[in-house]
Amino acid sequence: MAYKPQYYPGTTSVGKNRRKHMSGDLEKLRDISDADVVTVMGHRAPGADYPSTHPPLKEMGEPDCPIRQLVEPTPGAAAGDRIRYSQFADSMYNAPSVPYWRSYWGAINCRGADPGTLSGRQIIEARERDIEQYTKVQMDSEMTDVALSSMRGCTVHGHSLRLAEDGTMFDMLARTEMGSDGKVSYVKDQVGIPLDKKVNVGKPMSEAEVAKKTTIFRHDNVAFGGAQGARKFDEGLIALHHMWERRSRWGFRPE
Amino acid sequence: MVTKSDTEPVQIEIFPRRFLNPDTAQRLLDEIYRSGGVLRIMIQGPNLPRAVPYGPGKGLPIEEHKNLLLELGDQAIELRVKVGRIGLELESEEDIESVRAACERTLPFSFDIKKRQLFHTKPTVSDYAKYGSEVEDKRILGLVDPKAKKERNLAMLSDSRGDS
Repeated sequence: MAYKPQYYPGTTSVGKNRRKHMSGDLEKLRDISDADVVTVMGHRAPGADYPSTHPPLKEMGEPDCPIRQLVEPTPGAAAGDRIRYSQFADSMYNAPSVPYWRSYWGAINCRGADPGTLSGRQIIEARERDIEQYTKVQMDSEMTDVALSSMRGCTVHGHSLRLAEDGTMFDMLARTEMGSDGKVSYVKDQVGIPLDKKVNVGKPMSEAEVAKKTTIFRHDNVAFGGAQGARKFDEGLIALHHMWERRSRWGFRPE
Repeated sequence: MVTKSDTEPVQIEIFPRRFLNPDTAQRLLDEIYRSGGVLRIMIQGPNLPRAVPYGPGKGLPIEEHKNLLLELGDQAIELRVKVGRIGLELESEEDIESVRAACERTLPFSFDIKKRQLFHTKPTVSDYAKYGSEVEDKRILGLVDPKAKKERNLAMLSDSRGDS
């Protein structure tokens, strides 16, 4: 029988969603064009050539190395692209991919990527044409709700703040706006430089929907320690305690 | 007979469930001001910068945050924060109910009103650095951040309560 990774324990909807994000088995909710993704990222103009930091690997004449023979380079690495990034802030008010799950998704599913989670933001770095593809997957799939998540390269403040009246996450640079039709558009790229044309990313999910799709445990949705008055710890919490105890006592070695 | 507690000022904080848009904040403050009994008002929330503060776009103006004004009584003050909390000092405990009613009329979502000490009563070291050893009007203590400019962020309202 083929091995099937388990990724994450737990029977709650949060546990299931965390497994979905880590496995990369994600539902596609919208289709944002490649040009729009590139525009919001702001590293190059859509349609422009990819600047490079070194010649294509085939022209470079690589040393005789068994690892290089084993590992096929990503398209960006093969072409010698620059390293670029996309960074998302996700609201703690039930955003779908918060707080670590973009990074876990990136680490498990994206080749040649360097993910990182900081306080309230998650960044993935990779070669330019690779990160564009990874960013499109994030923006198109259920990892992103257009009101509660947004691409923010700098001035990311918003994750732990209350939402605005229209239900969008606070953004100091006003990169997105909610139209009168209820659809969200990016009016600036991820670092706050105004765009020539708005990028429409569609309607946000309803409150009930994000509560089902979120990966965050919250006392007012799916609580980490079970419902108040009827404590029943999620398997995820038991596993976490187990790791914490083993790690504290002896240094955790999962064998 | 008027007891001492009836006449003592009280300080309360309005904490709405969501950040207020400038027009909602304006309507709420109008209602509160009209209901009377307000001694001090403080508005607090995350900063709305006028220009991009960091990164490749540093210095670019943020048009969305320009010309945000709060008009109250005979004064207009530039709104430089997303309104998240409103601190009030009221003449007496009885005024809390009229503030609560104003919030219920104006806010389309839930809110909390907490009664607590918001403003300090004695000058701090920061106040000494900012205002000197003699503070003319003790009501300004604790109203603005130590680094904020009081000329820009502080307004003295007359007692017309917006009736005129």
